[in-house]
Amino acid sequence: MSEQTQLPQYGYVGKIAWIDLTDQSVKIIPTSNYAPKFIGGRAIATKIYWDVTKPGMKALDPENPLMFMSGPTTATGIPTGGRTSVCAMAPNNLPEQFCWGNIGGWFGAKLKFAGFDGVVIVGRAEIPVYLKIDDGEITFHDARNLWGTLTHDCQEKLSLIHGKEAVSVVIGPAGENLCRNASINTSNDNVAAKAGFGAVMGSKNLKAIVVKGTGDVRPYDVDMVLKLRKTMGNPQRKANPVEHLDRCAFRAHINFETEPGAVKKTNVSCSHGCNMRCNLFVLDTKSAFPRKVTNQVHKCIGVYAFQMTEDCGMSPGMFFHTEKNHNQACLGQGAQVPPPPDTSDPYLEELMTRRPGSTMNFWDGDYDRGNVINDLCTQYGIDKWDVIVWLMTWLVMGKRTGVLENMDLGMEIDPGSEEFMKHLLDMITYRKGYWGNLFAEGMARTIRTLGKQKYGETIYKGIISNVVPGLQLDIPISFESSWGHCFHWQGRGFQGSPPPGYYLSSTLMLMTNTRDAQTNSHVHGTLDYMKETMDAHKACLNRKVAENAFMGEIKAEMKECVTCCDLQSPQIFWPDMECQMLEAATGIKMTEEELYLACERSKNLFRAILMRDSDRCRAQEEPEAYRPLQYPDCEGQTVAPEEFAKLVDLYYDVWGWDRETGWPTRETWIRCGLEDVMEEMERLGKLPPDKSSKEQ
Amino acid sequence: MKEKKQGIKERPAEELGRHIIQWDPDISLCAGCGACEIVCSLIHEGVSGSRSRRIFFEHDSIQLMHKVYTCQQCLDHPCYNACPLKDKAMLIDPETNIVYVDEKECIGCARCVKACPFEPKRIQINRNKKAIKCDLCRGRENGPACIEYCQCLAIGMSDDSPPVPGVVVKV
Repeated sequence: MSEQTQLPQYGYVGKIAWIDLTDQSVKIIPTSNYAPKFIGGRAIATKIYWDVTKPGMKALDPENPLMFMSGPTTATGIPTGGRTSVCAMAPNNLPEQFCWGNIGGWFGAKLKFAGFDGVVIVGRAEIPVYLKIDDGEITFHDARNLWGTLTHDCQEKLSLIHGKEAVSVVIGPAGENLCRNASINTSNDNVAAKAGFGAVMGSKNLKAIVVKGTGDVRPYDVDMVLKLRKTMGNPQRKANPVEHLDRCAFRAHINFETEPGAVKKTNVSCSHGCNMRCNLFVLDTKSAFPRKVTNQVHKCIGVYAFQMTEDCGMSPGMFFHTEKNHNQACLGQGAQVPPPPDTSDPYLEELMTRRPGSTMNFWDGDYDRGNVINDLCTQYGIDKWDVIVWLMTWLVMGKRTGVLENMDLGMEIDPGSEEFMKHLLDMITYRKGYWGNLFAEGMARTIRTLGKQKYGETIYKGIISNVVPGLQLDIPISFESSWGHCFHWQGRGFQGSPPPGYYLSSTLMLMTNTRDAQTNSHVHGTLDYMKETMDAHKACLNRKVAENAFMGEIKAEMKECVTCCDLQSPQIFWPDMECQMLEAATGIKMTEEELYLACERSKNLFRAILMRDSDRCRAQEEPEAYRPLQYPDCEGQTVAPEEFAKLVDLYYDVWGWDRETGWPTRETWIRCGLEDVMEEMERLGKLPPDKSSKEQ
Repeated sequence: MKEKKQGIKERPAEELGRHIIQWDPDISLCAGCGACEIVCSLIHEGVSGSRSRRIFFEHDSIQLMHKVYTCQQCLDHPCYNACPLKDKAMLIDPETNIVYVDEKECIGCARCVKACPFEPKRIQINRNKKAIKCDLCRGRENGPACIEYCQCLAIGMSDDSPPVPGVVVKV
């Protein structure tokens, strides 16, 4: 990049609002205080958090800055730009740490049309309030008559009050009651859920933010924007009819008969301006509440409430690519039907050969139950991952192993029962009784309170691999991975079938994060990479695994800064796609290397916050990430701690971090233009000895 | 093909010209991306924004049954009739009978907006105080950009055949 220091007049709208709920004040910060050095989205939020907070912040403290930050592509018409970053100290991470989320919907775009690149919300209102952002004006409104409402009811009321052009993000009762797994919801069921940011809003007495905007966002190059609309994600223009089906057939392993015509499904886009429709949309489904039937949007996880007899499998082509076949996960894994593969590809069979999920037999197919559970999570505002992947599976495995025999939840424990799940989620959302209060603390804390050894680490012997047919996979009854989050494509438990080249890379990405990182960094690589890393032991010695994780994390930063989306990026055979997006939006011309460096800057600043506030270092994060690897993958492979340690060495080398401590070296801070951060690290005694780790 | 109800006031089909329609959800459900109004404002005004659009995507919170409102290209063209500068600011294309605006001449009086018989109105006054309305991207080689960029073929021309499920239209 020509070292650009001024904010371009394109892409950005130039203002960030600092909103204090305590004294109901608003001040305006120029976006140019941060951008373009910190490109947008999460990078700006990270910089703000570094600047304004001190160690000791708790997630539910009024001072915790809750930030919604768009990117320069947001609202420009560039596909995937509608994604918006949400950042704060997170209540559902264990321990609480600074964290990020990512939300679709129209909120980010409307925010820009209203004249703001982002908002920072601090303080705590005396009474429940909601914020209205309307063409540059920010006002505070009494939300006492909205407090207690379900998410959809709240959104509908806001829409009635402020008109159909108004878009909102809201919390449900779970957020109000400070459930650690509470989500922030858009009106199209997109959520920032995993970090528990809904509880942060609840702690601030903030029920909703409603935004209206009639302003313009001007991209730098309209022709380039239009070209990207036709090329990103290899989109197919075809009709999107509502299909009336006799089967609930949402995945290869979620497939069972229903009443004739009961399943009405099609697809919708997740966010403003996208050129794809990755989200599954089901219509006229049973609601958990007496109101009516409802329409529901599903991304990835909700569909497992319908059936979990078999784990989610994978085909290599979803994540590993050849020059002739490199559709993104969006098309291979998502609900949208992919274009037909290029059959002239000699590797097509390898790409399509399925690695099936393991047999689990947790709950059978039940369309109404699945809809009701999803509706409960959406309307209460609770993270579906915490409920479906962790709580429900834990109840099944805990019951089968006898661990839960003295647990009286007021009904027979049966996650396959719609009535039980209504009872349980009601109890959690409203913190009813001992158990409700306990589960409202999220699964990680619940299990520790009960006793981790028994309630977390008792081995379940009922999961059978289908990659090596008949192989019993002994893993704990708790699908816990790291930082208080559950398994997600880590080769164990849920989504346990990827090969080592995938799960070792995803484990490294998780290691330096503070939450499940897979929601924005699904592993991608070439088919050659996958084949080269099929042996877990050898893969731990292969620098390519470390480089793959590095690339995945850099691309994740891009997704959160530019912004882009995990279902369209990375494009292995179009590596400068995000550079083109940024240029089309802002006119800033960056090479791939320059954009990588900007993202390294953001990631290293994130690491600086963790080092300053949470004592982040190798001794902390390596064992935290390693834990799942001691259990067998779907082929029975385990990884020894010393093997993983060698991989971590290589990974730190790639990042330019000291092998011993895991801290960025002086050279790395300088390369990233973060000399001021380096000085602070030196003051804290967290600057490694003056030598490059690469020389070791 | 039956057109989705558009707005409060309806006019008989024989009073409408060739215009953009939204197909029934059973033919193709609008995915809600808003590409129609985004490309409309980008192509005509170089910006993205609701004040610069000539097609009106109405986002439906919760149930996501979004609506796309378009100019019906009325054959009796009440907007043109109301224009104090007709044939200068508001003109009729002799070949297509479609009303279009010469923004250089438009004085932004908004009489055309008031005369539009539909709700929501299908003409608006933009930020430069000029009337803007859909003229089917008059003179554009590929025809209306909103149709070209609709990923799910949820909108089309009123005299088009509906899209066939499963058939991919060239990008």
